[in-house]
Amino acid sequence: MSSAAAGETRSVPTYCYNCVAGPDLMTVEVTDGVATQVRPDHKATDIHPAHGRPCIKAYGLVQKTYNPHRVLTPMKRTNPRKGRDEDPGFVPISWDEALDIVAAKLNDIRARGLLDEQGLPRVAATFGHGGTPAFYMGTLPAFLSSWGPIDYSFGSGQGVKCTHSEHLYGEFWHRAFTVCADTVSTRYIVSFGANVEVTGGVCAVRRHADARLRGIKRVQVEPYLSPTAACSAEWVPIKPKTDAAFMLAMVHVLLHEVARERLDLAFLRDRTASPYLVGPDGWYLRDPDSGKPLLWDTRSHKAVPHDTPDAVPAIEGRFEIATAIAHGPDGEVYQHSNVTARTAFDVMVEAMRPNTPDWAAAICDVPAATIRRVALEYLDNACVGETIEIDGMTLPLRPVAVTLGKTVNNGWGAFECCWSRTVLATLVGALEVPGGTLGTAIRIHKPHDNRLLSVKPGQDGFMASTFNPTDREHWFAKPTGRNAHRTLIPIVGNSPWSQALGPTHLAWLFLRETPPDWPKPTAPEVWFAFRTNPAISFWETAQLSATMATMPFIVCFAYTFDETNHMADILLPDATDLESTQLTRIGGTKMVEQHWHHRGVALRQPAVAPQGEARDFSWISAELARRIGRLDAYTAALNRGTTTFPLQGEHYDFSLRPDQVHDVDTVWDAVCKAATAELTGGKEIKDLAWFKEHGWFVVPFEQLDWYLTPTMQRLGLRYELPYQERLVRTGIELGRRLHEQGIRWWDEQLTEYQGVPHWKDVPGHWVQSVVALGAKPEDFPLWAITTKSMPYTTGNNIGIPLMNEAASNLRGHGAVTINASTATQLGIRDGDWVEVSSPIGTTTGRAAVIQGCRPDTIVIQGQYAHWKTPIAKDFAYPSLNAIAPLSLVSLALTDATGSGADVVRVRVRKVDGPARKRA
Amino acid sequence: MVADLRRCVGCQTCTVACKESNATPPGVQWRRVFDIEAGEYPDVRRVFVPTGCQHCDDPPCLEVCPSTATGKRADGIVTIDYELCIGCAYCIMACPYEARYKVDDERFAFGDDATPNERKRADPRMLGVVTKCTFCVDIVDAGLAQGLVPGRDMAATPACVQSCISGALRFGDLEDPRSGIAQLLAENQWFRMHEAEGTGPGFYYLWDKAPPL
Repeated sequence: MSSAAAGETRSVPTYCYNCVAGPDLMTVEVTDGVATQVRPDHKATDIHPAHGRPCIKAYGLVQKTYNPHRVLTPMKRTNPRKGRDEDPGFVPISWDEALDIVAAKLNDIRARGLLDEQGLPRVAATFGHGGTPAFYMGTLPAFLSSWGPIDYSFGSGQGVKCTHSEHLYGEFWHRAFTVCADTVSTRYIVSFGANVEVTGGVCAVRRHADARLRGIKRVQVEPYLSPTAACSAEWVPIKPKTDAAFMLAMVHVLLHEVARERLDLAFLRDRTASPYLVGPDGWYLRDPDSGKPLLWDTRSHKAVPHDTPDAVPAIEGRFEIATAIAHGPDGEVYQHSNVTARTAFDVMVEAMRPNTPDWAAAICDVPAATIRRVALEYLDNACVGETIEIDGMTLPLRPVAVTLGKTVNNGWGAFECCWSRTVLATLVGALEVPGGTLGTAIRIHKPHDNRLLSVKPGQDGFMASTFNPTDREHWFAKPTGRNAHRTLIPIVGNSPWSQALGPTHLAWLFLRETPPDWPKPTAPEVWFAFRTNPAISFWETAQLSATMATMPFIVCFAYTFDETNHMADILLPDATDLESTQLTRIGGTKMVEQHWHHRGVALRQPAVAPQGEARDFSWISAELARRIGRLDAYTAALNRGTTTFPLQGEHYDFSLRPDQVHDVDTVWDAVCKAATAELTGGKEIKDLAWFKEHGWFVVPFEQLDWYLTPTMQRLGLRYELPYQERLVRTGIELGRRLHEQGIRWWDEQLTEYQGVPHWKDVPGHWVQSVVALGAKPEDFPLWAITTKSMPYTTGNNIGIPLMNEAASNLRGHGAVTINASTATQLGIRDGDWVEVSSPIGTTTGRAAVIQGCRPDTIVIQGQYAHWKTPIAKDFAYPSLNAIAPLSLVSLALTDATGSGADVVRVRVRKVDGPARKRA
Repeated sequence: MVADLRRCVGCQTCTVACKESNATPPGVQWRRVFDIEAGEYPDVRRVFVPTGCQHCDDPPCLEVCPSTATGKRADGIVTIDYELCIGCAYCIMACPYEARYKVDDERFAFGDDATPNERKRADPRMLGVVTKCTFCVDIVDAGLAQGLVPGRDMAATPACVQSCISGALRFGDLEDPRSGIAQLLAENQWFRMHEAEGTGPGFYYLWDKAPPL
């Protein structure tokens, strides 16, 4: 029975934003100034898709607050030597001394110039998972903005552990940095490894649970029976990294095995580039006068520009075109006369002809009948022709979706998967309509909080997209950041998020070794890190830690000691989740799977006083700005809305005077007022005191705004599918630029720029990597992949014992999960210690012997193998990161988007455990 | 209590919500979720099953209790009077659901010392006695005293149910045909754990819609 503590108890509304699927609204019970428990915010039941209930991670925040291992005073390193085996000799110092040391470094840089002799920023910063640190760093973004160029390219897993290719291609094709099913309306989902029941956040979990009760069918295609597979109608165990073949075969079935009229021909005709005419050289045939792509008008029986009023385009067919031009790379224009053109749809149909289910079955190790059945069930459920009324507007109802998970969605094969998924949606008209495949967030285009407003007419009847230039005049031959994102990755663009999207592993790699004709970049002179632990969360972690140790000056915002801040020069203890103040956006459509009927803001507030000398991030930021003489620029950034909302708008002015330091509450009071004024057109203004009592404020958000297609229709735009002329042109230009510099080590990546994807031996990349590492493929016969569990996913909470206790109820936690028959062959029993080896190293852990895993695959959950973080360093859990290469071999495992995947070829053997070794 | 197995995703949020609400020490889980696998590759099913004290109609723990510490309220909730419990642990052996715990010494999350929240919630009455899920009887009773309806009003509902993100856990008065859980049982097929033991568990597991009449 609960012990009712004597004393005053109050309930404090706040939020948890420990994963990108947040924020989750919650309350904190505080008795006599001590936080005792987290509870749901039941007042949010009617406005929050998950009824105001946070996930398991939120309940760890009480222990997080009172963790006795916290760093509670600023510290400085006294041992100048850095490395895993070096004692940093951290000693406590005052905030004044700590900030003065950091400011002195920054002032020195400012005096010498923000860029170094290579043109690279002298200051770098790394923030952890999915942008969520920004929701805890108060006004630090304003400080960073006030500084100038900063290198964000040193990742902690970005590009290889997110759904990277989906981020880039999703945003390119349908403003979908993250993609999900319209779960509230859909009937059938084919999920390729999308572990939505673990990583989808509370909104997704609730929506999918409701959908299951409603009768949805979800087919989970993945090598390991995850919680999401457990909650699905069917589990299809597929060989790792062959998902693209399965999906290409689904496209084949829809194009070659069913009557054409079963597809949504009107959607293909009007909302995609299917009718665009492609010449024999692969370029769109264009009107000689306007340069616009041509299509064949079935009314006038002639080729006309794509935007010709009243034209009724042909989707299929071959047509003789008397005169046309084509736009090649680098501004080249080709003249065509009396040429035979195919529609883009035709090109796709021909390209997909060989991709039969029987062909895919041999690659995927999935019966052809299963692939065909899934494709036909998808079509049967698409309800082509049906409509639904949303907010007074009649829209198509297409209740089918394909979703993609991590590893499927990054590294080689991901382009093919993203293309196939999105094309499958277009074939039945299920892209961005009720029941179909939806985007949720945007990060490469602006405005970040409204993806509908980000849609602007661009070239050739498509949305405008912001690629990095590849023409000779504007291409960035000289990298502007250490991962060379503007040089190598056109599609990643150059938004504030682009650099940190990737290829962030290349920044670490190039500091250690570089490919031919690539200058070794300088190390940043100052590196800031917050809520991130790349020494654990990236690949080949021992080598990466050694690289990190070469950085001359590291500032870590520190919660406890950990493997990354072990290399730091200065530790700054920030006030954590229950101790600090920040306003953040809620609702609308947000990352992962959040579709609300409201949008607004929520306050994180100090439920309890900060422990020790921990300070609010906004105080730290203002002090740093003051000490480097950038207070004006810092406050100007606040006034511009760097935190959330501009402090001055059409109906209000709460801007702050730029010549003085404003305390934390003054800043957030202004933000609270500005946010509510902006949301209500100036009708309602709520101050910080109001938010401290009520927690959040929302206004209605129309369901119609979940869907992009009505906006595309209103603007007369087409989705840039199925044919990828722009990508082909971009790839050729990029290849020319690189070759002009003598760079050939990116040539394989250039092959990914295809008009229509063709299957390549995707898993073969990883088999070949074994050879490249000097080993024999037959010695590493198993696939090792990874997965997540909700208590830990992206939570930055490894040192919280409550999470470990709860996670231990889940099979495979902290273990090497292995199929029972494989284990028997290897003489391994459940609970035995096993060693997993790749050509570059080993990791050990206990075996979890199960049936729900392919015999050729093992699974190592999470990211462990800590050696410094208190609590976690005693776990003795295995880590895939320890055995995944981060070397020039991983360059070969990087796709054209700069993405890699958590896949390693391994062998497994039974070994003595640590205890027996000690004995 | 009702657990809809079609909804449960095994997230363990209920497990930790219970632990915080009831301030149980490390290793004590009055509510937890089993992660169970059945079948043989590739025909395998995995299912998540929330469990804990089943608040049986005929509790075997009550029968063996020599001190009369274990009792059963009129509303069906099985209770333990810590003042009467002598810590003999017969009930732990008798319970077919492995729902009971006994902790003799203080245990803390981070080792030997209590954190401020643990000090604030420490209850020496819970040492050396047997403990288990109480259906958050203090929350239920406080809610009832305010005229609230357990299961409908969250302020009168056990912490695990309050916290359940998928809506799998539900609570209420089985004998009130208008209650949410009574309707759920009428509309769905369900089972009770170890039904053959004859304990009459008060924990119902939904697994499919009721067949049409």
